[in-house]
Amino acid sequence: MSEVSARRQQAFRVLMRRHMPRALRVAQRIVRDPVEADDIGQEAFLRVWAHAASFDPRVAKFTTWLYRIVLNLAFDRTGRRTFQPLDEAAGVADAGPAAVERLIADEERRLLDLAMAELSDRQRGVIALFHMEGLSGEEAAKAMNLSAKAFESQLGRARAALKEHVRKMQDKGSFA
Amino acid sequence: MTLDQFRRLAETWGGDVERWPAPTREAARKIAASAEGALVLEEQGRLDRLLAVVPAIEAERADRSSLLVLQKLASIQEEQPQPWHRRLLRWPALVPAASFACSVMAGVWLAGVAPLEQPSSDALSVVSSVFDVYAIGYGSVQ
Repeated sequence: MSEVSARRQQAFRVLMRRHMPRALRVAQRIVRDPVEADDIGQEAFLRVWAHAASFDPRVAKFTTWLYRIVLNLAFDRTGRRTFQPLDEAAGVADAGPAAVERLIADEERRLLDLAMAELSDRQRGVIALFHMEGLSGEEAAKAMNLSAKAFESQLGRARAALKEHVRKMQDKGSFA
Repeated sequence: MTLDQFRRLAETWGGDVERWPAPTREAARKIAASAEGALVLEEQGRLDRLLAVVPAIEAERADRSSLLVLQKLASIQEEQPQPWHRRLLRWPALVPAASFACSVMAGVWLAGVAPLEQPSSDALSVVSSVFDVYAIGYGSVQ
């Protein structure tokens, strides 16, 4: 990161190669639109380049800083937009030996995606950082600029809401 | 820690006690070792595994985004105004200076190689040159 602060493009390329997938998947989990997620990932790294000098490794890890930039951009976009993205179509199941198990797993995943769409942006962010990215509660709270208590509360509510949405969809049979 | 507290913590933090807040882990491990505790964790663990599924990001997609960032940076840097000494050193600004320098060099060279003609000092030449000067001064279109 110190080399990026010194305006070395080679170092910046390495940084992007290492962290761009991370930025894209967190953005995609929140905005649920791959094209918009790509825009957010690119904008996030432009900000990293522009503000590299202000990054202090003693205050936070680079990934925490990057997550914070990505989350702010994603929340900003979802707050402004007037449409809801379409859910991605489920893939065609293959006929391999694990086809039935894969079908069940795909179905569960699709159900979960639909339930995730019902959450608020912040709740999706909490789930993305803690469960998907595997951050500790403390790290995820820092990336979201929340206190530990507020993060715990958001996480608990997000998981409860997910379970409730899944249960409702199962009752209605809307996932079948 | 009671079983209810344990359940509430599991509903919030999931089925892996090691990811729970540090102060709760010690007591939680004891309950996790019991049959009821294990059942609670198993139930939450199923949800954890589903939530841990990440959207697939292909390497080409990430590389394309990185390339676009570099292109945007290059275009931003081109648009930024340059300091005056940099602007002066760009080639269109150097054309007048270069042509002036060429003219000076050509003049110096011609002065060195061209034969210097001394004006004649005989009487006829003097009269003729005076007449030329007056002709230019009083009647010429120049």
